[in-house]
Amino acid sequence: MKKILALFLMLFPLTALAATDVTQLEGSFKVGPAIIVILILSLFILVGIVFRAKDTTDYYAAGRSISRVGSGMAIASNWMSAASFLGMAALMYGSGYHGLAYVVGWTGGYVLLLILMAGQIRRYGKYTAADFIGDRYYSQSLRAIGAVIAIIISIAYAVGQFGGIGLMFRWVMGVDYPLAVVIGGSVVLAYTLISGMLGVTKNMQIQYVIIISSFMIPMFILTAKYDYFWLLPQIGYGAAVQDVVDGLMISEKSGLFNSLGHHFAIVPNPEYAMPWAASTGQTMFHWLAIVFSLMIGTAGLPHVIQRFYVVPKARDARWSVVWGLFFICLLYWSAPVYSTLGMILSSNPEVGQLARDAIVVYTAQLGDVHPLIVGLLAAGGISAAFSTTSGLMVAGASAFAHDLYVKVINPDVTPRTQIRIARLGTILMAIIIASIAMLDLALIAQLVAIAFSMAGCTIFPLFLLGIWWSGSNRAGAKAGLIVGSIVTLISLTYLIAERYEWVLPYSDFIAFYLGAWFFAWIGAPLAIVTNIVVSRLTRETPVEIRKFLIEKVHT
Amino acid sequence: MQTEDYKISFFRPTTQRALANRNLIIKLFLLWAVAIFGFQVLLKLVEKPVPEEALLRFTPAWEQIVAGEAAEYDFQAAGQSMVQAMGKITIGPDNYAALRDGVGWMLQKVCSDEEFAVIQQDVRTVNALREQITTLQDSDYLAAKEAVIARAAPALNIDPESLLAQLLSIGLSDDMAGISDENKQRIPEIMQLYMTHNRSFLTDFIFLGFPFHYFYTAVLLLVFFIALCWYYCYRIDRLHARLNFVEKTD
Repeated sequence: MKKILALFLMLFPLTALAATDVTQLEGSFKVGPAIIVILILSLFILVGIVFRAKDTTDYYAAGRSISRVGSGMAIASNWMSAASFLGMAALMYGSGYHGLAYVVGWTGGYVLLLILMAGQIRRYGKYTAADFIGDRYYSQSLRAIGAVIAIIISIAYAVGQFGGIGLMFRWVMGVDYPLAVVIGGSVVLAYTLISGMLGVTKNMQIQYVIIISSFMIPMFILTAKYDYFWLLPQIGYGAAVQDVVDGLMISEKSGLFNSLGHHFAIVPNPEYAMPWAASTGQTMFHWLAIVFSLMIGTAGLPHVIQRFYVVPKARDARWSVVWGLFFICLLYWSAPVYSTLGMILSSNPEVGQLARDAIVVYTAQLGDVHPLIVGLLAAGGISAAFSTTSGLMVAGASAFAHDLYVKVINPDVTPRTQIRIARLGTILMAIIIASIAMLDLALIAQLVAIAFSMAGCTIFPLFLLGIWWSGSNRAGAKAGLIVGSIVTLISLTYLIAERYEWVLPYSDFIAFYLGAWFFAWIGAPLAIVTNIVVSRLTRETPVEIRKFLIEKVHT
Repeated sequence: MQTEDYKISFFRPTTQRALANRNLIIKLFLLWAVAIFGFQVLLKLVEKPVPEEALLRFTPAWEQIVAGEAAEYDFQAAGQSMVQAMGKITIGPDNYAALRDGVGWMLQKVCSDEEFAVIQQDVRTVNALREQITTLQDSDYLAAKEAVIARAAPALNIDPESLLAQLLSIGLSDDMAGISDENKQRIPEIMQLYMTHNRSFLTDFIFLGFPFHYFYTAVLLLVFFIALCWYYCYRIDRLHARLNFVEKTD
């Protein structure tokens, strides 16, 4: 570790030489930011090598040796994806108060996760979500389906991350988006293959520090520069929100400009903060549906659930959620600062249409923050996407190698082959993810929200009932899964149809009530009710499963 | 929670620990649900659509204009309001274009033909230069914008030093050749759409600089979530200590 730090410190002065002016928002190669990104990525790979997985327990669950604070940092880093770092500010920038639904949904879900699942999942003692599903519902086919679902969810989630990586690499390198996705995707793949989860977990702790520092430093600079209460910007930006609502005349902050020379001023934009403004096209129903879907999705995401396997015991799993949520909130309290200041800094039409997903970086640029600091911010965005993507790939590879190959296809496999299969799965996933990410289907946060709704409709009901009701049996689980999957398929079919302008019946109705970002609001309750009804009508759960639940999970 | 045949149900706990855990979960869940969903429902129940001041100025002025009974200050009031709407971040390109035509039309109404021709020429210069410049600080471009401001802003009774004047200088189209009937009909709808907002005492009360509802949702709720999680862990630890319950380590 000391060697890594020494190398990092030795290279850092080089960045001072690269402090060139970043005056263009897009299109040019930015030397300073590029060096910072390379340094940070090199650090990740070094840490990955030093802490690389030595056996399957290391690969899947980091040897169960991570402290609760460390695990909390890893949870936060794993969680704070490109959707959190870049996407949330983008949503608030574009749709105001509606964007806060994502802030609430992505934090409130941890309360559910903690009180309903964290300790119990740890006590159940399985490595992966599919493992739990297969054992609890005593079904190899459900184990395989669970693995496939985990892989699909991981891919859906990671598409948004690759999108974020692509955007940041495009910004730094000035290359086209598809090429940026390929370059960034290759680096994250290499890192995940080298390290496995032990390296990932160690890296996640380092990544957390980099992510949160890179997000905070420009925020302090921006709030100080534009004369808001900078000592606690997460509160100080309240005045900026009010300025956006009431409008800010040139005379009120005369002498303050953005990097393009526009006055720090804005006409009244109450729609930014007022709830469900008609001009945003959003309603309270959508707000609540998104919050609900994101919350139950949080408690059903395989790579989130998997974080609880890396702590020594259930108590640590519970406290790691508290720490994790605190670390997450540090970023979530801060994201609106960027969207709010970004609103004012980009309000002049001469700034032009900005890529919303990069508004965090543009805000720092428009605020004339030093190019190296902006570079650090971009590196933080890349780190956020990296940390989540590597966790997702490990979860997906675990599902592929452990749940599909070892448990279903070839139980006699050696640990060495198992790791090889996991790595093959990781490569396949990366190729699929990069291919979909290049299509640039939606905003990062929206792409990620799809994964949450999928998890909410499929995995969440299985875990919730599997833990808390011994009556939930194999038939009920299958029936619930079918219902959840049908709702998912309907919503995604209409999403794809809309993107390719195919005309399907009831498209307005489906778009309003079963939108891709929030279809779990109805899909999850339907899956739960179906599971309960079918379980009651069919043969009881075997006594050994019920006994295990009581003796291992609840006692 | 358990019975002799190993049946468990969240709602039918059979041990002291399970009962205490269930009750704690229900309490926290209810608090959690009310804090999140209850507040938003309350926000919806008390909200009222409130127009911006600019819309209040625009609406009567536009009625006079459509009726053909407008005075110069009506054109100016409508023009100012439309320029303000053009400065909104979320405005769509089609709506922006319609408002731009509307502002051009207002200028046509308040200027003499000669003045209007000069403004048209100035606007064409600004728009042409914008296509050529490499920096927004280009001196010719800045001078051209100043020329538009010097003539067009006073015509619409806009302070030349104001943000509206800045927006006006870059918001006009090349021709300003009147306005289509379609845009005439759309403009009041556009203004209504962008300048009416759901407000209530929860949005108008300022707390630590924030509109209260925004502070509650963006800041306070997150604090509350952490508090709920901390409280749950603390209570479970105490419960386990009281019952001498030791969790195994792998």
